Amino acid sequence: MQNTAVQTKSMWNSNLLAGLCLAFIAFLYFFSTNAPGSVVNNPKLQIFKTMFISIILEAMPFILIGVLISALLQVFVKDHTIRRMIPKNPFLGIITASILGIIFPICECGMVPAIRNLIQKGMPLYVATTFILVGPILNPIVFWSTFVAFRTRPEIAYSRMGLAFIVALVIGLIVYKFVHPDQLKASLKTVHNHADLNNRHDHGHVHHDHNHDHHHGHSHARLNKLVEVMGHTVSEFFDMGKFLLFGSVLVGLLQTFVSKDNLVAIGHGQGSANLLMMGLGFILSLCSTSDAFVAQSFLTTFSKGALVAFMVLGPMLNLKGLLMMSAVFKTKFIVILSLLVIVFIYAGTTLLEAFILK
Amino acid sequence: MFKVNAAIIHNYLRAVILLGFALLIVYLVASGEILLYVTPKLIIYLEAAAAGLFIVAAFQFYISFLSMKRTVIVCDCSHDHNHGHDHGHGHSHEPPRSIGRNIVIYGLFLLPLVFGTVLPNTALAGSLAQQKGMNLGGTAVNASSAPADLVELDSNEDPALKEKFKTTVYNRDYAKLGMLLYKQNVIEMKDEWYIEKLQAMNTFVDNFQGKSIKITGFVYREDGLPNNQFIIGRMAMTHCIADISPYGIITEAANAGQYANDSWVTITGTIDQTVYHEQKVMKIIIDRVEPAKAPSVPYIYPDWDFASKL
Repeated sequence: MQNTAVQTKSMWNSNLLAGLCLAFIAFLYFFSTNAPGSVVNNPKLQIFKTMFISIILEAMPFILIGVLISALLQVFVKDHTIRRMIPKNPFLGIITASILGIIFPICECGMVPAIRNLIQKGMPLYVATTFILVGPILNPIVFWSTFVAFRTRPEIAYSRMGLAFIVALVIGLIVYKFVHPDQLKASLKTVHNHADLNNRHDHGHVHHDHNHDHHHGHSHARLNKLVEVMGHTVSEFFDMGKFLLFGSVLVGLLQTFVSKDNLVAIGHGQGSANLLMMGLGFILSLCSTSDAFVAQSFLTTFSKGALVAFMVLGPMLNLKGLLMMSAVFKTKFIVILSLLVIVFIYAGTTLLEAFILK
Repeated sequence: MFKVNAAIIHNYLRAVILLGFALLIVYLVASGEILLYVTPKLIIYLEAAAAGLFIVAAFQFYISFLSMKRTVIVCDCSHDHNHGHDHGHGHSHEPPRSIGRNIVIYGLFLLPLVFGTVLPNTALAGSLAQQKGMNLGGTAVNASSAPADLVELDSNEDPALKEKFKTTVYNRDYAKLGMLLYKQNVIEMKDEWYIEKLQAMNTFVDNFQGKSIKITGFVYREDGLPNNQFIIGRMAMTHCIADISPYGIITEAANAGQYANDSWVTITGTIDQTVYHEQKVMKIIIDRVEPAKAPSVPYIYPDWDFASKL
């Protein structure tokens, strides 16, 4: 044990040193050829920086709420409590999920951290799936912003809500019937099993110490829980946050370097317009409260069906959210879910275009 | 020994990062530069987030401090036989994964903090309009749908005026605004209702022919515009920068070519119309151009409720 510890430590040191040296060399090279001023003021960098920080800032309140809820669930809610609260009948379960989604209008940045704990506390997978799909779209704020953005064409707002609900319902049922209920990322569980076995007695000792060392002796039970919740919040924040940040980098880069015209040029013909807008929705990862306005700017370019596809797929399946989901769910499940969402939204909007959205 | 050290570093680093974000938000809100990133409506949420971050950071410092004395187990995992736990805390029984990965991850978190403090906060103007494509707010020339139910507004306006602004039910709000604008001698495009006024005027382009207009914005040229034309634009923000969209009007003058892109000007002119990208849009024939100072927060915001305030 000791040898490995020493070995790892010296590896740590030399890797770090090597990394720093490389970074330093790159830094020197770069600034020898470009004056610092020109780099800092480069317009593309400005755009990227502004986009990047803006996405993070607007997500910040929601991700904080999400990880806090997750932490509270972790500490205060016993296992299986949630399972008892949700009706057994799959239809009712899905309706419950939809209602929950309507009541809690959180951006998906907040939902994904909470969903893992909800599932562990007993929420069935298919209910959670419906919740994630429905939550970002089926709430009063999003309906209102869609309605306003397309005030001259209210059928678009209704189509968006209706399609989102139906797609979530169908996918929820499919998940209920066909998908194995255990889809949380396995690596988390196995690691922890080992850890627990090795250190059970250590944990006991530590807790003993905890109680003695607390200053507020009388309320140490409470303080323990509070610190626990906060500690969890921080861990979840960093766990989820790294996906949010990575997603923000990607979206920021895309916003900076890819122009709308390029994308528009790619879409030809009826069918592919829908696909193109869906792809755009995926890449842009806009918050569902404001994507309606971006969609509106495409009114003269694409059909209404394509816009609805953009507005339904975007919140359900997007780059930022996908990365965050990969922290929670197994890859296979994410792939299945993505395919289902894409197929049903495409089919749904094609039908809509035939009958309602001329 | 090594394990405890790594845990402490992680804990303190996290506390510092959380504090950093809180401070960044406070700085941006205090300096007003937050408006360069998000709309005014979101500020209150961000202030709440900053408060939350301060609280959480404080607790994390406390935990870090504790972790120096002995190993701190943050989660109750041994008692709670629930194994589906996140392993990313300062657990002492697990050394951090590869150091390279940790550098990348923490680097990601530090990136916005570094960017936010080191790089100057700028407003985005013309350079972004290139990416997004300018909104001229026109209506399709070949609109096939015959206007079904044209309604007149009931208000106590001059009947002749109401007749001019007959429109579909959905455009009623814009009709109301349009009538107000029509009555003005010189239509001044201020920040308030910029988008709405643009929409109103473009919906009733014919009514506004020959009217005087005064407008401030940045100069922008799109591919396909002849030399004697440029677009005068403003950037509109709905929610945050990611959804920012440029709105503008085509302007025309013989000497239009002399105005540099991204320069700010105030134009006084007469409204005309033209067809651009198969849309009928308004156009300004320039009478006078004056240089203008770019406002520090140059964004305009939509106002959903504008109809009730007319």
